[in-house]
Amino acid sequence: MDNTFRIDEKLYRAIYPPEVVDMFWRKDGTISSAAFADPKGLSVDRGDYREDEVVVEDLKRRFVGRIISLYVKNCYDIGAVVRYLPSKNNMYHSEIHGSETVVLLSKPQRLYLARKARVIQE
Amino acid sequence: MVIAKQIEIRNNIKKYFDVAYEGDVVVVPRKGNKNVVIISEEEYSRLNQNKRIVAYTDAFTKRGLSARSKNQANSLIDDNLEKLNMIENLKPGWNGHDAPDFGKELIEKVKRILLELYIQPEIFPTALQTIQLEFDNSRHDHMEIEIGASDTAEVFISLYNGGEEFESIPISSEEINHRVGAFYG
Repeated sequence: MDNTFRIDEKLYRAIYPPEVVDMFWRKDGTISSAAFADPKGLSVDRGDYREDEVVVEDLKRRFVGRIISLYVKNCYDIGAVVRYLPSKNNMYHSEIHGSETVVLLSKPQRLYLARKARVIQE
Repeated sequence: MVIAKQIEIRNNIKKYFDVAYEGDVVVVPRKGNKNVVIISEEEYSRLNQNKRIVAYTDAFTKRGLSARSKNQANSLIDDNLEKLNMIENLKPGWNGHDAPDFGKELIEKVKRILLELYIQPEIFPTALQTIQLEFDNSRHDHMEIEIGASDTAEVFISLYNGGEEFESIPISSEEINHRVGAFYG
């Protein structure tokens, strides 16, 4: 894996805080854009074309709670940038940034991604 | 205000349209006091919005809420106050990425606003140490009001037709009620 992301690659994110699972869920069942605000970069795991079930199993070993997925294309559609930032504990770790120079996603970017997100693990 | 006769308007229509577009009001006197006023679209929208806000405020303050609406409102405010307590109890790093916790001052500020809002939003914490109030109207517009430590709240509206509006407003229940009224009007 390198810093190249194709538009059809999936990105996965565990929604925090795990002790309050419903914190970011709206009454209509969709996720709030507030869950996409992170001044340090929105952490995700890149899918690298693995099956959802494989990614979920991997994430569940490290996280509790709901897991959502997005496509890289969703990020590119709104000018966001996906960075591959593997750590020693997680070779799939990546971050979504607002642009090449701004880490925080803008309000419209957050809302767009919230609307595109799909829950793959309750 | 500019007053111009009908014939004057007819002969110089572009001039008077430009006058109205620049924000002035053009009054055209007609027989039988059937006068006409020319204003810009922007001015028309502003007047219309004010009219909607007044109507909205009247509905809540003069006629009062119906018993059912009151019960629904009470239930929503209870839900929000309970959620606010949960937000207050979040520990530093609650988002798994070093997010700060929420100070008592911010929680109290949001609580005061919620208690005075005519329409209850859904509320959410952010890793920016702010609390986001979300509203959705029947036109499928979406409004977020983000409240943090500063004296101003950030308003973001995503319109059903793809349009977007941004605004900073002073944090007070009156200002927020005014904005919410315009959104639902």
